[in-house]
Amino acid sequence: MPNSCNIVIAGAAGQGVESAVALAGKSLLKAGFQIFITADYQSRVRGGHNFMRIRFSDQPLAAAVVKIDYLLALNEESLERHLPNLTTAGMAFAMADTCANIADPRLQPIPSTIGPSAAKSETFSGIKLLARLFITLGLSPEILKKTVDKQFAKKLSPQLLQTNIDTISEITNFFTDQAVQPLPFAPVPDPQRMLVNGNDAIALGMVAAGIGVYTAYPMTPSTSVMNVLAGCGPEMGIAVEQVEDEIAALNAALGASYGGARAATGSSGAGICLMAEAIGLAGIGEIPIVIFNAQRSSPATGMATRTEQADLLFVAHVSHGDFPRLIIAPSGHSESFYLTTEAFNLADYWQIPVFILSDQALASSECSINEFDLEQVTIDRGEIAAEPQNPGMLQRYEVTESGVSPRAFPQLSKWLISCDSHEHNEIGQVSDDIANRNRQHDKRMRKLQNLAKTLPGPKIIGAPADKLLICWGSTVGPVLEAREKLKTQGQNFAVAIFEYLYPLNRELIEKTLAPFKEIHTIEGNYSGQLGKLLQMETTIRITSHIGKTDGRLFTVEDVEKNLIELVGGKP
Amino acid sequence: MSCKYESSFASQWCPGCGNFGTLESLKTALCNLKIEARDFVIAAGIGQAAKLGFSLECNLLAGLHGRALPLALGLKMANHKLKVLAISGDGCFYAEGGNHLLHNARRNLNVTMLASDNRVFGLTKGQAAPTAAADFVTKIHPEGAGAQPLEPTLIALSAGATFVAKAFTGNPDELTSIIEAAIEHQGFALVDILSPCISFNKTNTFAWFKKRITKINGNHDRSNLAAALSLAQFNPEEQIPTGIYYQVEKPIYGARKRALNGDPIALRTQNYQPERVKPLFANYR
Repeated sequence: MPNSCNIVIAGAAGQGVESAVALAGKSLLKAGFQIFITADYQSRVRGGHNFMRIRFSDQPLAAAVVKIDYLLALNEESLERHLPNLTTAGMAFAMADTCANIADPRLQPIPSTIGPSAAKSETFSGIKLLARLFITLGLSPEILKKTVDKQFAKKLSPQLLQTNIDTISEITNFFTDQAVQPLPFAPVPDPQRMLVNGNDAIALGMVAAGIGVYTAYPMTPSTSVMNVLAGCGPEMGIAVEQVEDEIAALNAALGASYGGARAATGSSGAGICLMAEAIGLAGIGEIPIVIFNAQRSSPATGMATRTEQADLLFVAHVSHGDFPRLIIAPSGHSESFYLTTEAFNLADYWQIPVFILSDQALASSECSINEFDLEQVTIDRGEIAAEPQNPGMLQRYEVTESGVSPRAFPQLSKWLISCDSHEHNEIGQVSDDIANRNRQHDKRMRKLQNLAKTLPGPKIIGAPADKLLICWGSTVGPVLEAREKLKTQGQNFAVAIFEYLYPLNRELIEKTLAPFKEIHTIEGNYSGQLGKLLQMETTIRITSHIGKTDGRLFTVEDVEKNLIELVGGKP
Repeated sequence: MSCKYESSFASQWCPGCGNFGTLESLKTALCNLKIEARDFVIAAGIGQAAKLGFSLECNLLAGLHGRALPLALGLKMANHKLKVLAISGDGCFYAEGGNHLLHNARRNLNVTMLASDNRVFGLTKGQAAPTAAADFVTKIHPEGAGAQPLEPTLIALSAGATFVAKAFTGNPDELTSIIEAAIEHQGFALVDILSPCISFNKTNTFAWFKKRITKINGNHDRSNLAAALSLAQFNPEEQIPTGIYYQVEKPIYGARKRALNGDPIALRTQNYQPERVKPLFANYR
């Protein structure tokens, strides 16, 4: 269990919580700490209540905790809401005019008279509270100043930028006699370390995989993937288009894939609903495609900025009919990068739709990670048809043992290529001949069978143990940390991390899970969807399910409480 | 070059179907323009008209009902040097896919959209298309379709298409020359092709169209949007103008995108290496 320090910055939408967190995050990264940042925000532009947790340590982190060491409150409501979670040794910082009504020995008001005269407005509260926090943590204000300079040089006028720097100086000077509360851990600097959110990791993975086309319609919490790709697209040769709807998004991406680019689209569950028919087109047309789904609270509009893991059975079945598909769910930030590159290779190799299933908690949380190792990344476009002597129709749907038929790209090849949404014959002409249908359908489903046998089973942590916890996606981090915590209290659980969710490598999974007496699922949904899928596809039987539907991520304390209840204890 | 594009596919159209005329005109246009089969792709939707692509030996992406234009968009993003023809019928383009018409016209996507317009659904046996008159009677609409007919040229003009034309399969020479001009046009080109359905539309028959078709007056200024809009507001009970209503040059889709200039992305993809991502890492430190 890592020694860590947990900061909460809270306020209304529009009060600058996000900017303050960005500054804190980048500064702590510079200072050499490992970081995990999670956001709890509402779907509104002004008002309401937003807060973010910045947890840092000398060890890698992958989960949020509830207990707060330092609270930076931008308004009174933030104090009321979060003081109950502040540890007894913790401290709360707030501007004096926002906390006159609150009496708490842990509260450290900052007189509004301190700071440059140009920095009197509420806009500067965030930077003042951060400067105050840095004094207590014994961290150099210079790091904070450098981050301000780096983050805001392009966004703010030179004058405003200087006011921010001056604010840090004046706060530091004023509080210079305040006692430092030394951190129980030392920084471990690594200049290559990066701070990414789950979506950044996926977008960077797409770039590494050689993506050429990304088409999407904005939808929280998937949109930032499009922002990253659009930002680097002109330089890197990636065409990005904000299309009219998700139906256009997937159809356009399929057009691009047929045309020879590596292509992807992304959305959240409701957008994937609109893509349903075109997912079937990818299936029967055997068009490689990567579909990114950042799950959020459902159904319909649900809670736009909240998390859930309730799309698994949906994407395992979406679109009518039987056809092969693959679902990959990265269990963390580094995994989001590497598995995205793998998603493109598997899509091309098997010529199928591949889903990358993330969730809001993973998509929006930021994590410090080692620089991605590009030695681990390969680009495999799968089987390409040999060029013919003379132009002619490619046997695009040639019936093969593996089920995979070599493909080619229009104009880049002499082959003429017909790709068809109907049942079709080997050269891609519409056909409803019985024998042809059976041959083509069998060929496609052989891909699913053959693919399943190549997929890894779950990664098991903490065996031997009687009780196994199955988890995936953003739930993995908190489960692993809670497991370690409970182990010190004499409770032993093993954890199975699933990243390849469909198809399931049946024999391997049954063998891997055989030693465990009880198998429990812990997922951010009501029905235990991975458990259901395992029970459909294997002989595995699930003992119980720990679910969560409130739209908030699992914290370490959440998991701990659930596991203590599971063994009959009182949390 | 071979100028045949002959396919082994046995057509599924009724004898006398207007689509045969469109097929012949398209073949002639492609031959006249000396376009090699490998250099163009037909993006097709679903419906009788959408099957046209199977009757040519060519690159074909036969997709879903209503979605030919998004496929075309993706094709042009992957390979902006391909000629792309989006081919389907009035139900596909104007009903199920109406939204895509608006937005790809706005983009001025460099695509040739050949829309077979017979005012009726053929493949599902005789329902009202969006171009059907309000008094058009079908099994579903015994009291008449009710909604006002949509005029595709008017929609395309107002949405930003840079080439808008109407043709009639009964005038094959004019149809061929319009298709040629549409293929050569740089930008979004709609050809609304009046193509009678002999099986399911007993109202808007070949004779019905023949009586009303009028070639556009030679004085019409194609570069004048107001004149084109005025032309498109005809009363079909009196006359239906055929010819090129509008043609102007404007920046095409991709003109603003550096990624869509120079070699096509599909070609450049062969050189993309994982290392291309490395410069981006600095943004996350």
